[in-house]
Amino acid sequence: MSCFVRFWGTRGSIPTPGRKTHRYGGNTSCVEVRIDDSMFVLDGGTGLRELGVDLLKRGPAPVRAHMLFSHMHWDHIQGFPFFVPAYLPNSRLSIYGTFTGDRRHHQLLSGQMSSDYFPVDFSSLNANIVASDLGPPTGRIIEGVAVRCFDQRHPGGSYAYSLEKDGVRVVYSTDNEVDLGLADPAAAQRDLAAPRELPPELVAFCRGADLLIADGQYTDDEYVKKVGWGHPRASTVTDLAVQAGVGQLAIFHHDPMHSDDHIDALVGECRERVARWGSGVIVFAAREGMTLKLG
Amino acid sequence: MSLPDDPLDSATRAQAVPVLTARPSVRSHQLQQVEGPGAPQLIELRGTSLIIGRSPEAEVRIPSSSLSRQHVRLDRGDDGWTVTDLDSSNGLYLNEIRIYSAELRDGDTVQLSDALFVYFEGR
Repeated sequence: MSCFVRFWGTRGSIPTPGRKTHRYGGNTSCVEVRIDDSMFVLDGGTGLRELGVDLLKRGPAPVRAHMLFSHMHWDHIQGFPFFVPAYLPNSRLSIYGTFTGDRRHHQLLSGQMSSDYFPVDFSSLNANIVASDLGPPTGRIIEGVAVRCFDQRHPGGSYAYSLEKDGVRVVYSTDNEVDLGLADPAAAQRDLAAPRELPPELVAFCRGADLLIADGQYTDDEYVKKVGWGHPRASTVTDLAVQAGVGQLAIFHHDPMHSDDHIDALVGECRERVARWGSGVIVFAAREGMTLKLG
Repeated sequence: MSLPDDPLDSATRAQAVPVLTARPSVRSHQLQQVEGPGAPQLIELRGTSLIIGRSPEAEVRIPSSSLSRQHVRLDRGDDGWTVTDLDSSNGLYLNEIRIYSAELRDGDTVQLSDALFVYFEGR
């Protein structure tokens, strides 16, 4: 079994090209997970455009992609109209909703391509674009990969996803204001150094993942002014990674105001926190153009 | 007494201005080996692809028994160079994190077992 995870877009909220974001990248959320011959695409932010370009370079084989969206805010769908395989008749793109019968993601993707927003209508795309769902809460097996979703805290809602095969597991949890689900958010604010009391069901969802890709947009100082915006403190997702016993934590959905140096400092603080808990979790910042091999 | 409107400007001699072309210095991308057998050395990244490994056939040979014969490949792309692990025994580390592949950025460290490199973007 082989499992490769490639980051095509790691930025949150809005694309941020420029010298200050050169190292970690300015494209918005898009992650490719390739498990054996199956390809899963997690979110379709502006990084999806470059994934499409790369897929064409890989060879003439038709593109088969299973597309999972955390939610449908702009920074998670904006790459789709520029995803070249969507225009090719041999491509097959499966757009998954969450639970049985959920077709919202397919509908909203097509909505952003109405003529008021984009010159090419969704119905003009030549690919075979199929609306599907993940079935019951226990999830679904897609080409041998167990796929589950988890309801998160974000304005309008969002979902985390777990992909697992042969004991190798990737959890993708972006746009999740974990801090709002703490047992005592006020206590966490009073004593930032204390371990956070996390929702047990979220810890269970992430338990034992080889890689947790998690929104870690804010520093402790920033979060105070942004409660309710839908994103967590990086320190809180660090505690999540430690308590769930994951192998690696990729801090994701970088704040558009954060420069590369700022992100390095944030990751440094998270590593100090991991060391304080005596954990072996490897923490790093998700970076555009980086590929990990798991298992 | 009245002053001229602009004494300095009146001294400027008007003429046709030829367009001048500057030739900024061009420096290739580089890997600087700072630790391990063979260090220190500066490797100019030229061409489209090169192999680093223990093999005598590798474009950049590192005489270390802990490197694989073909440890990593570097490929030139539109935006610099990409490093990829060639299924090596001891892996590829970018800024201390084990990876499979990455597009390199200025100041990145690349570790192949006991050999440590720093990447510098050209201009």
